[in-house]
Amino acid sequence: MTVMTRRDLMAGAAALGLAGMLSGRASAAGSLTAAIYPGTWEEAYRGVVAPELKKKYAVDVAFDALFAVDQVAKVRAARGVPPFDCFVLDPGPAAAAMQAGLFEPIDIKKLSNADKVPKGLITSHAVTCNAQVVGIAYNPKKFPNPPKTWADLFKSPYVERLGLTGFQTTFGTVSLIEIAKAFGGSEANMDPVFKVLKEAVPKVAAIATPAALPGLFQQGQVDIMYGNTNTVAILKGRGVDIAYIAPESGSITFQTTLHIVKGAENVDAAYKYIDTAISPDIQNALQKAPYNMVPINTDTPLDPSLGITSLDELSKMVTHDWTKINPQRAAWIERFNKEITK
Amino acid sequence: MAGAAVAATGSSGVPGEKVDWRLAAPLGLTYLAFFAAPFAILLGVSFYADSEQTRLGLDSWTKFYGDAFYLKVILDTLKLGVFAVVATTLLAYPLALVFRAASARAQRVLIFIILMPLLTSVVIRTFAWIVILAREGVINQTLIGLGITATPLNLLQTELGLVIALTQIEMPLMLLPLLTIMNQMDQNLIDASRALGASKWRTFFRVVLPLTLPGWIAGATLVFASATTAFISQSVIGGARLVYLPALIYQQVTVVYNWPFAAVASLTLLFTVLAGIMALGWLGRFAKTS
Repeated sequence: MTVMTRRDLMAGAAALGLAGMLSGRASAAGSLTAAIYPGTWEEAYRGVVAPELKKKYAVDVAFDALFAVDQVAKVRAARGVPPFDCFVLDPGPAAAAMQAGLFEPIDIKKLSNADKVPKGLITSHAVTCNAQVVGIAYNPKKFPNPPKTWADLFKSPYVERLGLTGFQTTFGTVSLIEIAKAFGGSEANMDPVFKVLKEAVPKVAAIATPAALPGLFQQGQVDIMYGNTNTVAILKGRGVDIAYIAPESGSITFQTTLHIVKGAENVDAAYKYIDTAISPDIQNALQKAPYNMVPINTDTPLDPSLGITSLDELSKMVTHDWTKINPQRAAWIERFNKEITK
Repeated sequence: MAGAAVAATGSSGVPGEKVDWRLAAPLGLTYLAFFAAPFAILLGVSFYADSEQTRLGLDSWTKFYGDAFYLKVILDTLKLGVFAVVATTLLAYPLALVFRAASARAQRVLIFIILMPLLTSVVIRTFAWIVILAREGVINQTLIGLGITATPLNLLQTELGLVIALTQIEMPLMLLPLLTIMNQMDQNLIDASRALGASKWRTFFRVVLPLTLPGWIAGATLVFASATTAFISQSVIGGARLVYLPALIYQQVTVVYNWPFAAVASLTLLFTVLAGIMALGWLGRFAKTS
């Protein structure tokens, strides 16, 4: 008596789809379901990682496209019956999920590429798969002299063309923290950023949900925003006039990490998936257009389009302690809601 | 929705053959398992006092209803629904009258045009409105080109822009029930009203409006329920400065992880929409059925 779970069905459906395309394929050695961010990440992992995983290990992967916060919410809601085997998370949701005990520990011996990843990027429960770099994005045609500091964003003529987002994303949160610092605040004292935001609100071009921001930039509704190099590269690839500039206080960096979900059924397949994602060739393919993801494998030569010359640069960028940010985030979001709303 | 429509027409039971209640069992049981049961869980979650769900208490309810900001969010959400209903009504009635007078062939063409937006995904329709309403969008380019305004108008991220977009997005929901009932209306009643000396306006308000009220109520119910819960349009066109209940629920569930508070907001949304629908149903008593 076999019990069909939703995952079996999905894996089955994926396998059927593959069987249709590759006639006479070898029987699969395993399968897994991995959560992935919608958009570029899904395209990249479906197009680059999945075929390699299939070729090298005969493992089929089905993807569940979800933002980081949605992945954590879904696993929490499933209460012990995980809907997928593998997370991909930003530091904020990762810290929250770690605290809620949603990860299996990582056995580094099961990852053949582990020794090529800089120290600290693989921890007891997380494997870094890519780095993200956050700074200022602007339209170089409208602004030949771009804003140079976080504080500049709130000066005329920049503020009138600025697109703001709140604390619901990782890049938004860390950018607002850096803005707080530029006006004399810190992670522990965010009053300055709220004061600046309140004054800027009547002037700015848009206060948007994060998902809407790239579209607003593309449509010319905003010409300046904070964002990651990945978004800038993607928009540029679509012919949008956009450029990236590191603020004088330095770009912000954080890691995107892969994790095995607590109670996952396909742990071995998940290790093969993670090992494939961090292998040098795959990291090289993922850093090329249109994906433009900053690699973390030391065997991968860095692509010039990324704007950084070595992984050492990442260690000099600004980083944040999410275990300190998470407990305050709900209050920041509530305050943002209340003070920014019309 | 169907309940409101039935209540609106005021029909009391179907005469003739008795219908076996078991016909409704498949859908009824599905609702019981996948709506009533989760609803009970939602209600239960709302009575946890903290986001970790360890302590029972009314804290989430008192926090929500004790805070002027959240009361304003409820009010704004209701207001958005009312605006959408008013705007769709003002545009739908004239079109419905034209539709009634049109030939059968022209009616088919009109129906196709009315239905066309429904065949496009709501996400696409919403993003199309960004292209239209943006600073460098169609409306602003036209206004600047005609010399009506020198600086682009801010239409995106305003309540006005959102109501404009929702009016187009929800229009088929208002038009379809209204057109159906318009076509069923007895022409003799209108002719009689006119022959007895009533003006066109008087005929509209005293004859056409009461006769078509059930259709309008069904349409208004759909538009109201759909506009107040239109998460995508509200967040993409409205932006972060306009906070409505659906966005608040999403934020509390996925980013803040305060599920009890989100449960309170969800129940509030459910009951405010329900209250709006009941108010519309109550209007049905003014309808004339023949």
